[in-house]
Amino acid sequence: MSKIELKDWQEKIRTPEIECISRDEMASIQSKRLVEVVNRVYDNVPFYHEKMKDLGVEPGDIKDISDINKLPFTTKEDIRNNYPFGLRAVPEEQVVRVQGTSGTTGKLTVIPYTQKDIDVWGECLARELTMAGLTKEDRIHICYGYGLFTGGMGLDIGVSKLGATAIPMSSGNTKRQMMCMEDFGATAFACTPSYALYLAESLKEAGVIPRLKIKAGIHGAEPWTKAMREKIEGILGINCFDIYGLCEISGPGVAMDCIHHKGLHIQVDHFYPEILDPGTGTATKEGEYGELVFTTLSKEAYPLLRYRTKDITSIDYSRCDCGRTLPRISTFKGRTDDMKVIRGVNVFPTQVEQALVSMGGAVAPHYLLVVDRVNNLDVLTVMVEVDESYFSDEIKKLDALRDKVGKVLKQALGIAVKVKLVEPKTIQRSEGKATRVIDNREI
Amino acid sequence: MIKQLSVFVDNRPGSLSEITDNLKEAKVDIRAIASFDTPEFAILRLIVDKPEEAKEFLADKGFIVKISDAIGVELTDETGSLNNLLSFLAEADINLNYIYTFIYRNRKAPVLVFGTDEIDSAIKTLKDAGEVLVDHSEL
Repeated sequence: MSKIELKDWQEKIRTPEIECISRDEMASIQSKRLVEVVNRVYDNVPFYHEKMKDLGVEPGDIKDISDINKLPFTTKEDIRNNYPFGLRAVPEEQVVRVQGTSGTTGKLTVIPYTQKDIDVWGECLARELTMAGLTKEDRIHICYGYGLFTGGMGLDIGVSKLGATAIPMSSGNTKRQMMCMEDFGATAFACTPSYALYLAESLKEAGVIPRLKIKAGIHGAEPWTKAMREKIEGILGINCFDIYGLCEISGPGVAMDCIHHKGLHIQVDHFYPEILDPGTGTATKEGEYGELVFTTLSKEAYPLLRYRTKDITSIDYSRCDCGRTLPRISTFKGRTDDMKVIRGVNVFPTQVEQALVSMGGAVAPHYLLVVDRVNNLDVLTVMVEVDESYFSDEIKKLDALRDKVGKVLKQALGIAVKVKLVEPKTIQRSEGKATRVIDNREI
Repeated sequence: MIKQLSVFVDNRPGSLSEITDNLKEAKVDIRAIASFDTPEFAILRLIVDKPEEAKEFLADKGFIVKISDAIGVELTDETGSLNNLLSFLAEADINLNYIYTFIYRNRKAPVLVFGTDEIDSAIKTLKDAGEVLVDHSEL
């Protein structure tokens, strides 16, 4: 197959009556649903009843979506403290499924769903699979893991809703993945971007790409760059899409980008987003960066009010070139929990990564930030690995490289940075949660 | 011309011995070694009997290595010979990036090694002045 160029792309929209409506029309749907969900949690979830009482808010105070800032926040810790099902808002018999996430520290997060919750989840994904150009004629090879993790089951539910064929491969065994992908004639596949790249390179090595029918890739559950997307697209000759979700809110499909790749369209009739200043909890100006906070507007089994995702992004409410009015979140700039305030400036490790990648290979994108306080002044040192192709026999050229990295980082971060060049492979690789920041300050 | 190995090293205890350990394992003989103090990192320059093999062996172990051309000149062991040679280069307006010396075992003569961005004109200048250039094959 070959990648479809933007000019040749034919956009399909599953539910234009939702996905393309005006902001006011959407606000009236959201307002109605917010009032309902607030009443339900107030009546059925003691945790929210107490929280609202503490804030002196009653369901009657919430008249439309603009009243959302009167409601209490929910954090990951609140979910953990009520493990496993303390925040459930329906009787047991209405629950048909649980999905969850494996917290690397401490307890699992486990979320119950009613049949309607599953239907809504599937519908959101079906809209997004349509956004990727897929129809019920397609066969979708799902190599996300199946199990408690929402990736595999979520896509499966979405593919069923679309009426396409789900091929439930789950993760692992690349040889078998390649064989089935070819033999079953899959037309799309879904997995994490890092596995997509690995699989694409394995397929290329095995020489089977010319025999594949794959035309689209749906990838998410970990951050990836445009460069990585273009690499996967280039190897396989397909169009790839970035999907976002979190199990607390439903799972994959909370948002996905369209062929224009100008942010991820959020399914805002079901998941209401706010962008807040992570420090003060107040709304940022429209278009500015802040913490993404979600309220589930239609969830039955496990509704959450103002759930703090800790992801840093901004929202664009303008109509997209694809025709949708569903607002778009930009690429995540980082997380509130790895943000560092250095000399009063918010610094995210991902900004360093993006700046290093922008230098086009002069240095490897492996880095470590070290924050120290010297004479009451914060000093940020960025350790960067020298890349073989740019290694020079002369100290003056290495000094020049170091100064250039320093300049690029200063421009990206807005503060002066001390750069230290180090030998290759001396910085820990990013597998899972690599340490990107060491903060030696005693504050 | 001399094929010189340049290796990127962090300025920390043990970083040099990691390189010499590997060269020993690769059965590579070191003829000359030089490094200059810098605060964080340095370039270790080596002249060895088998530069290609040494480079490959070190690169496989994750070191950053380059083979670069340097000029070797045999000096006569008398007062003023180094000064003469440097004067020729200075008059020809040739800038040197680094210099170091070692002893030429076969002929028991000192050899000056230097790096420059203007290798061709440096060679021509020295040959015209009657200096004796050392080739890697003679080491």
